[in-house]
Amino acid sequence: MVPSWKVLYNRSRYTLTKPHVVIGILLVILLTALVIIPFLQMIRDTAVWQETDRRISRTAQPGEWTSFHYKRVFSSPLSLNIFYRPLLHSMMTSIAISLAAMAIGALMAWLIVRTDMPLRKTIGAFAVIPYVLPSYTLALAWLDFFKNERIGGAAGIYQYLFGAPTPDWLAYGFVPIVITLSLHYYPFTYLLVSGALISIDAHLEEAGEVLGANRLTILRRVTFPIVLPALISSFILTFSRSLGTFGTPYFLGAPVRYFTLATTIYSNISNRTPAVAYISAFILILISMFVIYTNQKIIGSKSFVTIAGKGFRHRLTFLGRWKHFALIAAASAIFLAVLIPLFLLVWQTLMLYPNDYSIGNLTLHYWSGKSNPALAEGETGILRNIQILGAAWNSLKLSVIVALFTGIIGILIGYAVVKGKKTKLSSLLEQQSFLPYLIPSIAFGALYLSLFTVKIGPIPPLYGTFLLLVLVCMAKNLPFSARSGISSMLQVAGELEEAATMVGASWQRRFRKIILPLTLAGSMPGFILTFIATMRELSLIILLVTPNTRTLTTMTFRYVEQGYSQFADAIIVLIVILVVGGEFITRKLGKRETF
Amino acid sequence: MMMKKTLSLTLMVILFLFILVNPSWGQSMSSKETEEWLSKSELGRYEPKVYNEKQIYEKARLEKEVNIYSYSSRVHQFGKTFEQQYPGIKVNGFDMDSTEIVTKVLAEQKAGNFVADIIFLKDPSTVLYELMEKGYAFTYVPTDLRPVIPARYQKPFLTHHVSLDILVYNAEVNKQSPVHTLWDLTKPEWKSRVLFPDPIKMPEFTEVLATLVQHSDEMAKEYQRVFGKPIQLSKGSRSAGYEWILRILKNDAVIAGSTNDVSNAVGQPGQQKPPIGITAFSRLRDKEKNPKLVFDVAYDIQPVMGVATEVVIAVINQAKHPNAAKLLIRWMMGDEKGGQGYKPYFVLGDLPVRTDQPAPKGSKTLQQLNVWIADPRYVWDHGQETRDFWLGHLK
Repeated sequence: MVPSWKVLYNRSRYTLTKPHVVIGILLVILLTALVIIPFLQMIRDTAVWQETDRRISRTAQPGEWTSFHYKRVFSSPLSLNIFYRPLLHSMMTSIAISLAAMAIGALMAWLIVRTDMPLRKTIGAFAVIPYVLPSYTLALAWLDFFKNERIGGAAGIYQYLFGAPTPDWLAYGFVPIVITLSLHYYPFTYLLVSGALISIDAHLEEAGEVLGANRLTILRRVTFPIVLPALISSFILTFSRSLGTFGTPYFLGAPVRYFTLATTIYSNISNRTPAVAYISAFILILISMFVIYTNQKIIGSKSFVTIAGKGFRHRLTFLGRWKHFALIAAASAIFLAVLIPLFLLVWQTLMLYPNDYSIGNLTLHYWSGKSNPALAEGETGILRNIQILGAAWNSLKLSVIVALFTGIIGILIGYAVVKGKKTKLSSLLEQQSFLPYLIPSIAFGALYLSLFTVKIGPIPPLYGTFLLLVLVCMAKNLPFSARSGISSMLQVAGELEEAATMVGASWQRRFRKIILPLTLAGSMPGFILTFIATMRELSLIILLVTPNTRTLTTMTFRYVEQGYSQFADAIIVLIVILVVGGEFITRKLGKRETF
Repeated sequence: MMMKKTLSLTLMVILFLFILVNPSWGQSMSSKETEEWLSKSELGRYEPKVYNEKQIYEKARLEKEVNIYSYSSRVHQFGKTFEQQYPGIKVNGFDMDSTEIVTKVLAEQKAGNFVADIIFLKDPSTVLYELMEKGYAFTYVPTDLRPVIPARYQKPFLTHHVSLDILVYNAEVNKQSPVHTLWDLTKPEWKSRVLFPDPIKMPEFTEVLATLVQHSDEMAKEYQRVFGKPIQLSKGSRSAGYEWILRILKNDAVIAGSTNDVSNAVGQPGQQKPPIGITAFSRLRDKEKNPKLVFDVAYDIQPVMGVATEVVIAVINQAKHPNAAKLLIRWMMGDEKGGQGYKPYFVLGDLPVRTDQPAPKGSKTLQQLNVWIADPRYVWDHGQETRDFWLGHLK
């Protein structure tokens, strides 16, 4: 029987009064504007002849429909080299990187949050820095150790020590890519898993002990299932990011012609044939969508509420004689992933002439030197350069605003997705929020450029404004905060909010007094990752900045191009200092707000 | 039921927004507006017969500033001297990749949101076919300079200077260049020892490869001279130029990510078996930044020592500061001694197009060097084929 209009009306009115539905709908609209429209434009471009296609094909008719781009990617003589082989490389490296990064990150999180390992606070302070450092610093460090005469220059330290040239497989390609990038990406897992571990009530583990389970069983049957959602989130983040990353795989792979799909995407965009790039990007998106879908299936039946309306207590696991072994393992990971590259990076900023590691070659000129016509064509050190200081201010402003807004939206997404579990709305939202992560930054920036240089209805052209930078960075970083919003919301019991509803608290009040405080600690990773990512963002915003909205990273270009790597490295060190400082402040604030 | 409603609502919103955005795609300025702007700015056929610096400066002062998108960071140097020379006009120099410049200009033109006044970039074929042919960019050659610039550098666009891609060798191990012809690079003794900058990453090297293909006849003749027999083309290669590309790839040429990597790898002292490599002539300046580097340019290579590519300056359609733009372009072209405005480019490795200017210290003039000049039209028509050929034979 067809329900009468009245029933229908009442039903929808009932559903629409649920806050998570309202929020869900609002968020879907927001994400549609920020994410889906650029995405649709991408899809359209793959099936339409582009202006630049006139170079590839004599039959190109710009503006007309065509399947040319698809044929070129999937079934042309080039397909093997521009698609299938790079795809295989992308899959192999990404899976290996994700597994390795998860192992390192989860272990690190457990050691720092849940055990009595000595110096764990100190180690914890360093643990996120690998993600702050550009991954190529690790790659450079790798080559300093392992390079052989294939790429010329001075031989690596390995060759010096062992007297034999490094084999190519150890110096370039798969092995170094996996090792350097897993050391670079483990902070994703570290942040998400430690967020989950912090919110585990010791009662749960004690309950296991009372029932006679040994420590390993508790870890396997109690702790592990609780952090599973966070682990899976970090797998998704690491896997997708590794699929899309260009710099380091190119740097370490090109000498032996080991290319990944991200290389194809990047080179097609710089060749101004974006349609072909978008198709490759879609394949990456499909793969990640499949991973997310599987994740939803797993999480669907296995999530655990750990923050309930009862007392809450923290307890540490005593490592006993393993204590020092754990310390050595954690400290050496930090040493490899943080101290060595950071040391090399700082040293490079202090070299009067690049690649000369002698003491006599040290100088502070690139930091604080006054203009000297004999050096660096009269450029002053970066701390005396007003343009750079202005850009630093822009960077900070942008990162804080973006991190703050995306953080709040992330919590809202978490709320709408978790409360609306299994509804189409919530899965739509979850999928939507993840899309931008997979669209290559440079392509995403180009799409925003073409969309926002024009007036859209009542909205004036945003091109050239600071707001546009905020919007594009927010859209791009939503997955971080959405993932951590969802993971942290999964742990909050519904009874808490229900109790407040019973006593008549309005939704705004419930959100401010209950949901926000309880999820803040768990959402911190999203905030921090967004802050870091925005500080370091370059390719996403390079097309959208104008002279008065320049950020720090866009200033490195000129120095790299002129061969003054010292200036460029000094800017990166400056970014690292700002990020570490920002993270420190965030943590202090975060601690005060949580219980 | 609820979900269906939400979904259809979402779809409606998407469609609505899509329609709002859609009409602006591909829209370009009508030629009437362009014509008006040209006449108001006194450009193109409206340009006065005499270059009158004083008059242009007066108008430019009212415009107050000029926005230049530059592939080269040296924009900040000539910008500074310009501001001293012409007080009251601010130069907003914006440095980024040539590709990014083109992308930005195209978006600005399509949206009618005009920011750039001047573009200064590589990749002449794209400038010619995607910007000038569509009326998005125009050539401005100050009339007083016309007698001192060869016609080929004035039309269809003004070339600011020419940059060269050449072969370098390690000068510590070799007294002189260890190779004498481009075909040497395909010989077994150079297996895995030739560094080649990635043409997929750097469009400039697609220009280099396409130019070698264009000159296939000369490449074939040179092959005959070196090996004493006519060249045998492999399956899939259509001419001697392609055959050269195929053979250096088969000879395991090492792909380098930047020209900087090449000069550093070749020039590092203390190597026993240093490689050779193709790189930009202007990398010679690296030796000033790092005096330990010991590489030199191989001048005596047959059939040519290298390929020259042009760097273009153009005025952007509907530029808001056309007079300041003219003044800045004139400043950038320098004077017969080099000049303050040209000074940042008066260095080893960049070659001026002005016939009345001497070559920079330590360099020969463009006319004295044995090079092929990349032809923007040929690169537009065949560059992509060459690129695809390279991609298809990587492994």
